[in-house]
Amino acid sequence: MSEALEISENSAIEQHLNWPTPDNGEGGEPSPIGVSYGKSMMWYFLLSDAFTFTAFLAACLAIRASSPWWPNANDVFNSIPLLEGVKAPMGFVTIMTSILILSSVFIVRAVQEGHRMNKKGVAIWLVGGIIGGILFLGCQALEWTHLIHEGMRPFFNPFVLDAQGVLHVAQSAMNPDTGMREIITNSNNQFIDMHGVAHSFGEGINQSGGPKTFGALFFGITGFHGFHVFTGICLNILLLVKTLSGAFERRGHYEMVEKIGLYWHFVDLVWIFVFLVFYLL
Amino acid sequence: MSGATLSDEQYKKQVRAVYVATGYLTIITIAEVVLALTMHGKISSFALTTFFTLLTFWKAYYILGEFMHIKYEKRTLVLSLGLPLVLLIWMLIAYIHDGAALFKAMFDFLNFG
Repeated sequence: MSEALEISENSAIEQHLNWPTPDNGEGGEPSPIGVSYGKSMMWYFLLSDAFTFTAFLAACLAIRASSPWWPNANDVFNSIPLLEGVKAPMGFVTIMTSILILSSVFIVRAVQEGHRMNKKGVAIWLVGGIIGGILFLGCQALEWTHLIHEGMRPFFNPFVLDAQGVLHVAQSAMNPDTGMREIITNSNNQFIDMHGVAHSFGEGINQSGGPKTFGALFFGITGFHGFHVFTGICLNILLLVKTLSGAFERRGHYEMVEKIGLYWHFVDLVWIFVFLVFYLL
Repeated sequence: MSGATLSDEQYKKQVRAVYVATGYLTIITIAEVVLALTMHGKISSFALTTFFTLLTFWKAYYILGEFMHIKYEKRTLVLSLGLPLVLLIWMLIAYIHDGAALFKAMFDFLNFG
């Protein structure tokens, strides 16, 4: 606790660290857990959000455990946008992870500058965090576009194994008779990969494609996470505007930066686990 | 957080702590990616899964502890967040076990997997 700041309970500025009570209108009473009411509520909101994300990831892992096979991440996620033909398994997602972690570091620095009431410092580091967030969302959009281009849909999976057990991206199209997406097969009941080479299906696999929930899980979870990143960016922009307008200088503390910072770090934390479940396991 | 700002010394210490944590996060991520790329056939998938999970929890420790400041918060707050998370881990394990049981019921007779 040596890093904890000295809290003077009588100062008007420190009032915000006390929890409000109905009986004690001015000033409230000391927080039972050492943080202000607003900050503790952010923590408990993040706890509830952690439950939601864990439930989704648990669903993904349970479905994988019940599935006879699952596309290998190294083979599915192996391209980098704008660099056609370069095989870089896990390359792009590593770049994405670094961008998000860096943006988190920038936000921590903004919080630390806030402790020194350094308005300009807070603003600069906040801008860095916002740019990192926007870059991450851009990368996620590129990743989604690439996968959709390969034929991945919420309930259709074009990643199939051939008779030798090698994963390929099979060309697929909407079947006009059934209204569902299907893998295109030639006269020998073989599928054609993205390079035009025909292969025989692996055992138990046919034109309905690989495990059906792969897309729903991927797009659903990364989409939900991306939505959190988006709201985080909006909140950070709001924070930047308030910082530059001097609202926190008038208030006497930059605790709002800390609270939104907590949300942003939570988003980073969730990404670490999404990265684990989808790209590593 | 208070009217009194940080002393220069405390500030430098805190900034350094954040950069050290960032260094750890970078190294652990690189280790994870290298493991994922090179070890897929070579060690058992159970060992790989354990490695990845442990490394990920190590990263989570740095993000929670340093970036979200939990290392410096009161014990009460940490426990009020940590104990429900134990229930979460229980739920996670239960669901994965459920999935494995489903696999056995649906596919084991085919001698799959």
